[in-house]
Amino acid sequence: MDFELTNDQQELRDAVRAVLATACPPSMVRQVYESKADDGASRAAPLWRQMVQLDWPALTIPEPFGGLGLGYVELAVVVEELGRAVAPTPFVSTATQFVPMVRQAGTSEQQDTFLRPVAEAGSTGTLALAEDDGRWEAASVATTARPVGDSWVLDGKKSFVFDGATADEVAVVARQEGTSGDEGLGVFVVAQASLTSRPADVIDPSQPLAEVLLDNVAVPADRMLVAPGDPRAVETINRAIQEATAAIAIGMTGTCRAIFEITLQYAKDREQYGRPIGSFQALKHRLVDMYLAVERATSLAYFAALTIAEDDERRGLAVAMAKAAAGDCQRLVVQDGLQLHGGVGFTWEHDLHFYLKRAKSANALFGSALMQRAAIVSRLGLVLDEPAGSEAP
Amino acid sequence: MRLSFDRSVEGFRQTFLAWLADNRPSPEEMAADPALSSGHAPPWARRWTRTMFDAGWLVPGWPPERGGRNASPLEQLVYLEEMARADVPRSTNPQGLGIIAPSILDYGSEEQIGSYAMPILRGERTGCLGMSEPGAGSDLAALSTRAVLDGDQFVINGQKVWTSGANHADFCFLFCRTDPSAAKHKGISVVLVDIDTPGVSVRPLPELVAPEYPELNEVFFTDVVVPAANLVGTLNDGWAMANGSLAHERGMVWVSSVMALDASMRHMLDAAPGWLSKLRSGERAVAAAMVADLYVDTQAVRCLGYRGFGKLMRGGSAPEQALMKLFSSETRQRLGLVAAEVEGAASVTVSPQGARGPFLAVDEASTWMEQYFRSFGLTISAGSSEIQRNIIAEKVLGLPRS
Ligand SMILES: Cc1cc2nc3c(=O)[nH]c(=O)nc-3n(C[C@H](O)[C@H](O)[C@H](O)COP(=O)(O)OP(=O)(O)OC[C@H]3O[C@@H](n4cnc5c(N)ncnc54)[C@H](O)[C@@H]3O)c2cc1C
Repeated sequence: MDFELTNDQQELRDAVRAVLATACPPSMVRQVYESKADDGASRAAPLWRQMVQLDWPALTIPEPFGGLGLGYVELAVVVEELGRAVAPTPFVSTATQFVPMVRQAGTSEQQDTFLRPVAEAGSTGTLALAEDDGRWEAASVATTARPVGDSWVLDGKKSFVFDGATADEVAVVARQEGTSGDEGLGVFVVAQASLTSRPADVIDPSQPLAEVLLDNVAVPADRMLVAPGDPRAVETINRAIQEATAAIAIGMTGTCRAIFEITLQYAKDREQYGRPIGSFQALKHRLVDMYLAVERATSLAYFAALTIAEDDERRGLAVAMAKAAAGDCQRLVVQDGLQLHGGVGFTWEHDLHFYLKRAKSANALFGSALMQRAAIVSRLGLVLDEPAGSEAP
Repeated sequence: MRLSFDRSVEGFRQTFLAWLADNRPSPEEMAADPALSSGHAPPWARRWTRTMFDAGWLVPGWPPERGGRNASPLEQLVYLEEMARADVPRSTNPQGLGIIAPSILDYGSEEQIGSYAMPILRGERTGCLGMSEPGAGSDLAALSTRAVLDGDQFVINGQKVWTSGANHADFCFLFCRTDPSAAKHKGISVVLVDIDTPGVSVRPLPELVAPEYPELNEVFFTDVVVPAANLVGTLNDGWAMANGSLAHERGMVWVSSVMALDASMRHMLDAAPGWLSKLRSGERAVAAAMVADLYVDTQAVRCLGYRGFGKLMRGGSAPEQALMKLFSSETRQRLGLVAAEVEGAASVTVSPQGARGPFLAVDEASTWMEQYFRSFGLTISAGSSEIQRNIIAEKVLGLPRS
């Protein structure tokens, strides 16, 4: 039992941090914020190219498919740093959403087809799961899959798809017509060229989202990862959702830590009444509470990472706790972080708002703290009259 | 990072559990004759501490001659977790075992080790900690109990307050002022005073819950004479021993706090379905969310402790560890608060006299409301939550002094 990073993991963290310090300073995030949507993607492109050169997307792809075969803790280390830098990059969608889904659901040939380009050529992918109701759970999917000969035809609309307008490949969760709940679910990989995507106008442009329209899209059988009706569908999809959700939680703790550190430094530097504002006890105690919230969230984020890495039976609960704790944390550090900066934090010119917006978005996506808390309630058996067939991921 | 324990540590766990099953006092035996305060050791407790000492299970991290077996930090962690799970105290005099004996072993003379520290470890004597005074609480360095060196003896005059277990303890580990002209922190020394020394008088101060089992006391010292040889460490250098946080870190006190929190949480989860069944569905959703929140906190406290532990094991520093006392005590308090609130009207009923135990007794004996009130013992003593925040702000976060 060891809850501290190994030397290798620490070296990875230091390396990632060093790269981001030069390749992704706040000024770069600002450029993305201040450009139009398409232009924003191109501004972020050099960072992604560098990450590809450094083999980061290959991290958790199994070795037989060209990857490094490392575990979820290593992935967590990278994701936390990306959150800390508010990095605009398709890493999260590709490595924490697309890759886990293909790894969980695909045959060897499919993994080779879809993962090798990610590992070796910087190809990107994402997961199209949530729809208009903003729920990242299998049972809520309405998009349909219809068999036509050997292939399938998809119809529906996906929302809040991370990098949905730019990802080369999109893993789509759909259900056989006429089914509901956990029945009839399947997973398909659709190429960007085969679908219509529409970038969404979002508060955090450093993490672009899009609507993905599937209008009679034919998908050949070799792009079907899980056949609708396959009994292992829900379990497979849920495991991928857990990996993706944990990653959002981990990235969010990184962003929260950045907000806390920036605010702490400000409290030491800013003087009023002839002394640093950080010497006022009212602010000191709030900073300690922020610090505690960050450490609390980080502890549960890595606990979740460990349960995924070791396939521990607590992983579902651990992921819900991690996302809930990260959500609690952002609520406090965004609030006090902004308040303690006074007027300057309220301006567009100050970089603080990139972090605040990333943290708020991360809470709202992949199930807010409120929803995670409800999931914890049901996992602890505290719901006495839960309707059947709505198992939390 | 790793979640599971390796084979050798699991082997250690099995060895200990087997020994524990064969040697532990039974719950009935413990309940029939509970310790009346943290200075009291009933016969079963004396035997049990001695048994653990002899077998090297009292302080496993120490060498055999001090009641240990040179266990590794990870083994000590496993040991403490299993002890807590088994619900057997290592000693009914926790401040003796956790603070006084280790301090004497570190700072004391051979004679003091032989007649004060070792008897604590062998379950023969109990000690109490005389630090706080009416005028010196959070600001402990303001203490004014005087010890005047007069030839080969000290003459002590003054008063202590909130002294846990002084009503049953054999001796007091007493902080007193030996140089009133020096700066606050510089003129303090520690002297060992047997409670039966003429001039020492103890007046129990019953608490707001279970006043029939007083735990706190006032201790008055009137021209009390003790040998100069009872000075622990160097004259006027006692402040080093007042650093309770050091003992906290060294003694892995956090493990017991985490385990106690876990046990309370389990009791709450056991009771929760019964409470929820009496609520309407809207009320139930609110209540269940409050309970889930606490569950997240209890798990977070443990993971935070493990993270700091991982750093300390590598010989690094673990600033997070400073959060453990604050986080665990405030979570414990919220737990009582939420449980009593969700329990509703039934929470106002007090537990029957005699059913509720003394301060050290397992919490199950008292109601959630009583547990809530008792939890203030945790957030006030050993550096209140406010003082913890001050310390963390300045020592860990590097904020300027107020
Ligand atoms: C259950 C229990 C067991 C105890 N056992 C022992 C024992 O065995 N031996 C012993 O010597 N003592 C013991 N104590 C005493 C304990 O250490 C003191 O109660 C504690 O140090 C606080 O001192 P005080 O009670 O005088 O409160 P005060 O110091 O007067 O504090 C009152 C309030 O003011 C706040 N406050 C004080 N200073 C500051 C500041 N600088 N900034 C912000 N807030 C501040 C405090 O947090 C608190 O909320 C025990 C106490 C309890 C409750």
